[in-house]
Amino acid sequence: MTQPATPRTSDPPPPADADGPGQVEASPLAGLAAGLVLVAAGVALFVRALLVGADRGITLGGPTSAPIVVTGLWVVVAVAYLVTRIAAWRRRVPRPAAARPTWRVPILLMVLLVAYAFVLKYTAVGYVLATVLFYVGSAQLLSTRPLREVIVRDTIVGVVLSLTIYLSFTKLLGIVLPAGVLPL
Amino acid sequence: MNAFANLIDGFGAVLTPQNLLYAAIGVTVGTLVGMLPGIGPALTIALLLPVALELDDPTGTLIMFAGIYYGAMYGGSTTSILLNTPGESASVATSIEGYQMAKRGRARAALATAAIGSFVAAIITTILLTFVTEPMARLAVTFRASDYFALALLAMVTVTAVVGASIVRGLMSLTFGLFLGIVGIDALTGQARFTFGVASMLDGIDVVVVIVGLFAVGETLFIASRLRELPEKAVPLEPATGFAWLSRADWSRSWRPWLRGTALGFPFGALPSGGAELPTFLSYMYEKRRSRNREEFGRGAIEGVAGPEAANNASFSGVLVPLLTLGIPTSATAAVMLAAFSYFNLSPGPQLLQNQGPLVWALIASLFVGNVLLLALNLPLIQLWVKVLQIPRPLLYSGILVFATLGVYAVSGNIVDVLLAYAIGLIAMLMRHLDFPIAPAILGLILGPLMETQFRRALLLADGDLSIFVRRPLTLILLLLAVAALALPHLPKLFRGQRAVVTGED
Repeated sequence: MTQPATPRTSDPPPPADADGPGQVEASPLAGLAAGLVLVAAGVALFVRALLVGADRGITLGGPTSAPIVVTGLWVVVAVAYLVTRIAAWRRRVPRPAAARPTWRVPILLMVLLVAYAFVLKYTAVGYVLATVLFYVGSAQLLSTRPLREVIVRDTIVGVVLSLTIYLSFTKLLGIVLPAGVLPL
Repeated sequence: MNAFANLIDGFGAVLTPQNLLYAAIGVTVGTLVGMLPGIGPALTIALLLPVALELDDPTGTLIMFAGIYYGAMYGGSTTSILLNTPGESASVATSIEGYQMAKRGRARAALATAAIGSFVAAIITTILLTFVTEPMARLAVTFRASDYFALALLAMVTVTAVVGASIVRGLMSLTFGLFLGIVGIDALTGQARFTFGVASMLDGIDVVVVIVGLFAVGETLFIASRLRELPEKAVPLEPATGFAWLSRADWSRSWRPWLRGTALGFPFGALPSGGAELPTFLSYMYEKRRSRNREEFGRGAIEGVAGPEAANNASFSGVLVPLLTLGIPTSATAAVMLAAFSYFNLSPGPQLLQNQGPLVWALIASLFVGNVLLLALNLPLIQLWVKVLQIPRPLLYSGILVFATLGVYAVSGNIVDVLLAYAIGLIAMLMRHLDFPIAPAILGLILGPLMETQFRRALLLADGDLSIFVRRPLTLILLLLAVAALALPHLPKLFRGQRAVVTGED
């Protein structure tokens, strides 16, 4: 889980000073790709809704009409979006390199999240242990400092957090969380 | 003074030691969570939903919610002012001047005018709510299915037109929410729709799952994709050292914006116009135009904090009017509250006041109590709360992921729901990158099924005659308004400049 410290830009500005999501102009290609995916997904869903409708009968006010209307709307809006993206792509607006997102950390976080969910549900590891491991792991992914500098701090916070959640939920609120291997 | 007598009864129900404790816990936890950067009231309530639902007592839960909501609003304005990271679009207007004030060493005055302005606005508008609710509910009883359909459509369209930079993106987000709302068994016929053979999808997609995914997971993944640009730790500008009252000049410059913000916030909240975003910006622009200190705007004018903050809080009371009397949520937060109602098998709408009158009055009374407690408990503790802002970012967002997973897992105990929340989070991250607004998706999810039900009910009552939607004047007017809202996209363009600093969505 170790990860080299990413060099930080000198004197980074406060988060929203730089650019919030409202201002992050996605690269024209990303918008184009999103438009294509949206149109494809819309068409697939629309066809499926139509097939189900043809199967069970389409009546105004029946159960198949809302899916057809919504997926149809999806296709129309997605095509409109794609058209605006094609226009942006043809204008070829360059994007500053600094604002380009990195996908490594979110992808690793997703993998960790899915693993966490499966461990919680299907193994005997238990809530507290699984949460501590997940917490330390995800904090490390989100950190720009090396693991050895923060492991003690992260572990302590993780243990306190997961124990507090576990005890307050199971003992005070009566929500069952998996106890697992720890004698809790 | 029937409403007044009912309200007194409401206070009788609320003012028990146990309920006061719930209210105190609510404002404290709400402030704590609401203060976390990028987390607004909608997400705060969604994350705390499983906790509050365990109380098994609708009155207690609603009181806690009122506390959480006001706490979250207060926490949100603190973060906007000290860090310039508004957790929802409604706090953006506050952050413009608030952050500038903090930069110039006037953070305490900004926090104080925000807190007192919110208090004043909330108290005035809750009194208004007290007297509007009953007549409105009487009016709502005359609403027919076709009117509901048109009203829900209007609410959806206006929110989509108002929030975000482009209508096409807003509509796409809305359509995504509408689609999620269709998934599951059709309530009228029992047919499965878009369940893709997954048994646990038959019940539909839980609102909590979508909200946690869109906001908590989405925000964290978004932050994760931009780590290089962000500092490890957010540094608030001025860790306040105790609560200082406003100077005489601050008072005299604040009270009129408070009242004007209140006057703007309540009606806009009550209209299906998308909650607090529009009135906060209108208030900001109005104060900017009117102010004798116009040259200070952009460098930290106190009017620019006082007005929008009052408008923000006032609009919440306004939002409660259609929520309680018609069952129509007009903001993401209201949508989450509607979900909370449904957990107790309460359906807001014209019948709520008739069948559950005492509960509604207890809720309204708890709004008063929540406000007073917030001012009394939290304002003196500001220096303590500001420490929350100093939590290192990795610890903060890892904690948010833990709570997000817990929130979904505790509600359903179902791994499909947890994975679904993650997947929606992934989509939400991409939406943030591509500049799609989040709020329309939530409203689509909540209002879509409601619209479909009312549409089918209206058709059923009219024997399948579609002209029912144009024959009834009220329905026709609402539908025409919805068309007008889509056709007039020029209003939000006026705000686009100010919108540049949005870091989250309501």
